[in-house]
Amino acid sequence: MRFEFQFPDIGEGIHEGIITKWLVNVGDMIKEGDSVAEVETDKVTTEIPSPKTGKIVELRANNGDTIHVGDVFVVIDTEGNAEDVSPEEIKDTLNEKKEIVEEENAGVVGEVIASSEVIAPSDENKENNEDKKDVKKALATPVARKLAKDLGVDINQIVGSGPNGRVMKEDIIKASEKLQVGKQEITLDETIKTASQAQEEKLLIEDEKIERIPLTKIRKTIAEKMTQSRFTIPHTTAMDELDVTELYELRKRYKDSLREEEINLTFMPFIIKATIAVLKQMPEFNSTLDEENDELILKKFYHIGIATDTDRGLMVPVIKDADRLSIVELAKKVDEISNKAKNNQIELKDLKGSSFTITNYGSIGGYYGIPIINYPESAILGVGRIVQKPIIKNDEIVKAWILPLSLSYDHRIIDGASGARFLNMMKELLENPEMLLLKA
Amino acid sequence: MKKYDVVVLGGGPGGYIAAIKSSQLGKKVAVVEKDKLGGICLNWGCIPTKTLLAYAKHFQDVLRSEDFGIGGIDKSKVYVDIEKMMLKKDETVNKLVSGIHMLFKKNGVDLYNGFGKVIDKSHIDVGGENLSFEYLIIATGSKPYIPAIDGLKESFDSGKAINNMGILTQKEKFDKVLVLGNDTYSVEYATFYNSIGTDVTMIYSDKNILPQYDSKLSQTLERQLKKSGVKLVNNANITKISDDKITLTQNGKEKEFTADKYIVFYGIKPNLSGLESLKLEKDEMGFILTDENLRTSLPNVFAIGDVNGKMPLAHVASFEGVIASENICGIDSKIDYLKIPKVVYSFPEIASVGLTEDEAKIKNIDYTVGKFPLSANSMASIKAETAGFVKILADKNMYGEIIGLHIIGNDASNMIAEGVGLMNLEGTIYDLAKIVHPHPTLTEAIVEASLAAIDKPLNI
Repeated sequence: MRFEFQFPDIGEGIHEGIITKWLVNVGDMIKEGDSVAEVETDKVTTEIPSPKTGKIVELRANNGDTIHVGDVFVVIDTEGNAEDVSPEEIKDTLNEKKEIVEEENAGVVGEVIASSEVIAPSDENKENNEDKKDVKKALATPVARKLAKDLGVDINQIVGSGPNGRVMKEDIIKASEKLQVGKQEITLDETIKTASQAQEEKLLIEDEKIERIPLTKIRKTIAEKMTQSRFTIPHTTAMDELDVTELYELRKRYKDSLREEEINLTFMPFIIKATIAVLKQMPEFNSTLDEENDELILKKFYHIGIATDTDRGLMVPVIKDADRLSIVELAKKVDEISNKAKNNQIELKDLKGSSFTITNYGSIGGYYGIPIINYPESAILGVGRIVQKPIIKNDEIVKAWILPLSLSYDHRIIDGASGARFLNMMKELLENPEMLLLKA
Repeated sequence: MKKYDVVVLGGGPGGYIAAIKSSQLGKKVAVVEKDKLGGICLNWGCIPTKTLLAYAKHFQDVLRSEDFGIGGIDKSKVYVDIEKMMLKKDETVNKLVSGIHMLFKKNGVDLYNGFGKVIDKSHIDVGGENLSFEYLIIATGSKPYIPAIDGLKESFDSGKAINNMGILTQKEKFDKVLVLGNDTYSVEYATFYNSIGTDVTMIYSDKNILPQYDSKLSQTLERQLKKSGVKLVNNANITKISDDKITLTQNGKEKEFTADKYIVFYGIKPNLSGLESLKLEKDEMGFILTDENLRTSLPNVFAIGDVNGKMPLAHVASFEGVIASENICGIDSKIDYLKIPKVVYSFPEIASVGLTEDEAKIKNIDYTVGKFPLSANSMASIKAETAGFVKILADKNMYGEIIGLHIIGNDASNMIAEGVGLMNLEGTIYDLAKIVHPHPTLTEAIVEASLAAIDKPLNI
């Protein structure tokens, strides 16, 4: 029996992905649970496991192709040879499909195995699938259509408020506000102008020797998130240098013995620990501004995002409930999630739900930076490279290990003085590791 | 006690439509009406007024028939028989009123003829009978507003001053009337009387005759009225009214006017009798406050039509009735007053929808305007009614979305519907410019106006 494997709903609102790598070839035998392809979505790159055991008879996409949820992308022969299916069976499977679709909830990567339904191999079915995509053209007014195009709103996704569900101008404006696209009021004349200017520039550039690289999904997501954060939140950044000589010595004392336990003790877990202690005292840094309701949402959990450099771009894996972990546990966790992110093994759920983010550009050698807040959080801590510097202590020039910190925060809800206070408290905890023990 | 889902208080154009709509949406509905169904609109307003104006137009056409090569009519023998005109008008009115009775039967709406007094927010008394309701739609309409001008009330008492009620029951023709106020009705009755040969003088306190319309429309109408013999006295401050004369000051000078009758229209005030127990919130003019769903300050009480003072027009009342019924039945709908047309049945007619130029300026909208005179339209020439123009306003920053259409011309009341349709569909002048219109028609002028707003019209 032929089994048409549809690209499953892997949850989190993802509805399309790009096949970055096929892991099977036509003719390969696979077992249920074996991965068939590596798929990049706008949030994560993941492997899609096969829901059936059998022989691969057809791959319906090439590397680099975009596939949508519901598209058949692999055909598996589950019993060794393909049979024709009678019309009744087709009907049955279609009915079944309906039921399954209703039951199916947004799944998570790895849990999709059993939920994909059997679809009979027929040309009509294929056509139906294609039709479905074409038919979904929104009923909309002329102004709404043009406005949607200019504001980058997908008009076909909008439920219209006009008669018969017609999408009106107002619906587009609301949708666009929700997307937070272009928060500033740009008059359309200006957008037209800049668009034509961009066109001119494009023409100029094209005379030069250039290479055009299409953005990956992940890059596009990063670009959108950065724009959203930078143009929604008025950032301000406080910086300070911390004398962490004592902490340096402490770490030095234990890092070798811990290494034997396969624990890589870096400064990061200490910084996380100190940060959480400060967040507990200054909850506005662990919050989100609810612009719609004019309310500040204070979070009573401490999920710390760790900005991680990977060869596919920036990823922010999250350590959930980091306040409940010891320094050693944090060290393990940091290692684990950053390795997963780097090796492209991170799961979508590990990329979501952070309440505060720390970015460590120091590991690459940076000293100060102005980090951009991981929207919709209210603050982000940038950690620079710890270097030995001469400082003046008790009227004498002495050597010290200096940790530079940059704290960016949402100036709408946090005043400048609070930023300085945050860093002062960090200083107290990190300059005297005993305090960290007592207070964190 | 009879139980209803919806009780509608008032059977005018708002109330009767609300009742039918609610019933069609599955509610058990009763209408309480103390007088005749159809309200002011059918009995004392739109329908009789426009009927008389249509007759007056016929009369005017007869008088100028010679211009079109129709001979044999002795103008000195042509006359208006007011009594017959009123009888014919009554025929039309009665036919339309009985139509509503039929519609009620067809839609299963119960009618209670009597004065409805609301007891509390779920009970109403009609002549001793107690009805309970889940929802109440107030459609009690309005009464004429009589300003505190010295002697005006007394003139009404003596019968010298009359309004629509008085006019529509008159049996004889007047030689000379003074029309007070510059409401739509003032203009329409001035037009009527002037057309049937009465000497008409209009007296009003504003500079323009229709200040709520685009000023160019108002000015064009003023010119047309003067041309046809109506005397206009603007910026007038009436100091004293008596049965002999009206005394006023205009630009510092005192003047006196005399006439057979004073025709008085100073707008409306809400009819709130029977509603006292509800203690509804009102606006500063005393009209019942409603939101965009027509809900009052009580969640199960809606108010539609003149009584909410939003736009005292029959078609608004009817549409508000639909909106209120839909909201009662769980359909979330609302009304956008900016997309509702209004018409003055003067000769030529005035029709308008959306923003005027002045309003667009106040709202800081970067608009473009296109104008096209009817003198350049072929159908207007054919009919020899070339006075007037079409003016269209579009929002430059919203892709040329049409935000206003203003027409003065022979058939403006019908032409305006195109603008209303386009505006409800959020159409642009660019869409309009590409819509082919039949030739020859007056509506071609609307396309030409849109071309003028974009760049240049083709036919001028």
